[in-house]
Amino acid sequence: MKNKIVIYIFIFISLLILYHFGEGIVFVEGSLFTFSSVILVSLTLYYFIDQARKGEEIYLRPIAGLKAIEEAVGRATEMGKSVLFVPGISDLDQVETVSGLILLGNVAEITAKYETDLNVPVARSIVMEAARETCKESYLKVGRPDLYSDEMVNYISDDQFAYTAGVNGIMMREKPAACFYQGKFYAESLILAETGNSIGAIQVAGTGSAAQIPFFVTACDYTLIGEEFFTASAYLSNKPDLIGCIKGQDIVKLFAMVTMVVSLILHGFFQAGWIRFDIITLFGN
Amino acid sequence: MLLKRHIPLLIVIVVGLITLFGHFIAHEGVNNFVKNVSTEWFDIIASFAIFLGALNMMKLHIKKIFNKRRNWQYSILAVFGFSFAIFAGFLYRGAYYLSISDVNAGKTSIVSNIIAEEINESNPLIIQHKLISSKNDYKIDKIYITKESSILLKDKLDPFVENIKIKSIDWGSHVQTEGSLFYWMFFQILNPLSATMFALLAFFVASASYRAFRIRNFEATLLLVSGIILMLGRVPIGDLIPWWMVSIMIVFGIGAISAPFLNERKTLFGIVGGGILAFIVFGILMGWNQNPPELLSIPSIQSWIFDYPTAAGSRALMIGIGLGVIGTSFRIILGIERSFLGE
Repeated sequence: MKNKIVIYIFIFISLLILYHFGEGIVFVEGSLFTFSSVILVSLTLYYFIDQARKGEEIYLRPIAGLKAIEEAVGRATEMGKSVLFVPGISDLDQVETVSGLILLGNVAEITAKYETDLNVPVARSIVMEAARETCKESYLKVGRPDLYSDEMVNYISDDQFAYTAGVNGIMMREKPAACFYQGKFYAESLILAETGNSIGAIQVAGTGSAAQIPFFVTACDYTLIGEEFFTASAYLSNKPDLIGCIKGQDIVKLFAMVTMVVSLILHGFFQAGWIRFDIITLFGN
Repeated sequence: MLLKRHIPLLIVIVVGLITLFGHFIAHEGVNNFVKNVSTEWFDIIASFAIFLGALNMMKLHIKKIFNKRRNWQYSILAVFGFSFAIFAGFLYRGAYYLSISDVNAGKTSIVSNIIAEEINESNPLIIQHKLISSKNDYKIDKIYITKESSILLKDKLDPFVENIKIKSIDWGSHVQTEGSLFYWMFFQILNPLSATMFALLAFFVASASYRAFRIRNFEATLLLVSGIILMLGRVPIGDLIPWWMVSIMIVFGIGAISAPFLNERKTLFGIVGGGILAFIVFGILMGWNQNPPELLSIPSIQSWIFDYPTAAGSRALMIGIGLGVIGTSFRIILGIERSFLGE
């Protein structure tokens, strides 16, 4: 283990030296700090992925929102109603949408297992194709390809409020028993969540859009807040390399906290005139 | 397997790595790819994919109508709306206007008056000046959706003008021209409908706030208090609340927090009453009537809540989200995360 750390430190320092000497020739000038951050984060994540692959046990705290997924689908099955999954209104170029689709795969597996209707209205054509592929694979994995139909993933509109109106219409007419909002959302988040609340559906939301989290927290039963939403695939799949990455993220967070505290202290020293170097200049403007 | 899994995965890994490290490579081609070309590629693919979505939507609704499934009546509206948008965008542009030349001698002022009346211009002299200064064609500044409405004006002008042509705005630019059918549809139907949906948010915010502000526990109380302070601090009336009222509110707050720990009601009343009295007497002695401290001004408390606890909380959230995005992107670039490919 110690050897591995030494190797990673060696790689890190070598890359920094390489960048330093190539700065302005091969590499962009003035981006050494950003580059070193990218390399440090990448190596940390990879180190923990490697550790997890080797069988190191990693503890993941229970996330209520993820545990509630199966419970919500189960409730829909008991009530004989459908499950609604909204993957946000952004395209596949947003990481949140990709995370939403990953969660869709898990939800589709459960609906296939429980033989419950799944409805996935989408706002982007590329997302529609990706969502269909995800659902198809999930139904196949559970051994129920017969239950899958392309119609369960349907395109509504690219327009934000036309899509919202469409989804609200589905909610009011079909009254799904479980609603999942997983992806990137804007102003429509509260309209969707409040409509879902009014029909008495159990609602699980997850988003990386910081401004929409309070709305979901208020109107939904469970909310995957920020990073919880991105850890969903690791949590649900239980694959070691994905879980390793989550631990890596936590260590990076620790680095960030330490950097903030150290920077605060050093900047205080600088302002007091005790040291001449201002650490803030390292971070750019 | 090769086409469905390996090649897409390879594309993801290669493009992901180029896009990530492209930011650090001092090469114009690579930088151009990262900043412009890659996003243009995405836009082009997304534009083509629109057809897939539109066709899927039409297919679903038409099937629903033919099979008379539940709520099939709504599908008629959807198909009609879609067909109307296609008609207005590709088949009928409208946007007719009149172009006149060779006004009969001495009739310029009559023609100007007719045009001024038509386009609601209060000063016909402006039109007359434009008419005289335009040597060849004078384009009347009004666009009609139908040809018939433009003919009505043409009939009025015919006795005084030698040459009147009815023209139409070019295809493509018609979607952004006021007077085209598409423009009318967009601003008279789609915009009000979108605004209606957006306006619903106000009512939903009210119902959501009611639910969030209900006093159930300490956190909900804290949310309620900070919410009220934020709302009061951001409206003009917040400035008018005097220091002594804020002092009383603070003492009441302290009383509410300490109430569960005090068994004697008299002690609680004593703390609250004594606190209020002490605060007010101290404030008068300190001359707070003339110069109230910042701490006892609602707008200052509001900006403190907004600038410190709220900013700190949202930054912590943003750091978590940022790390989540980095972690997910890293897993995708390395090909560890393949769930989005259906695996």
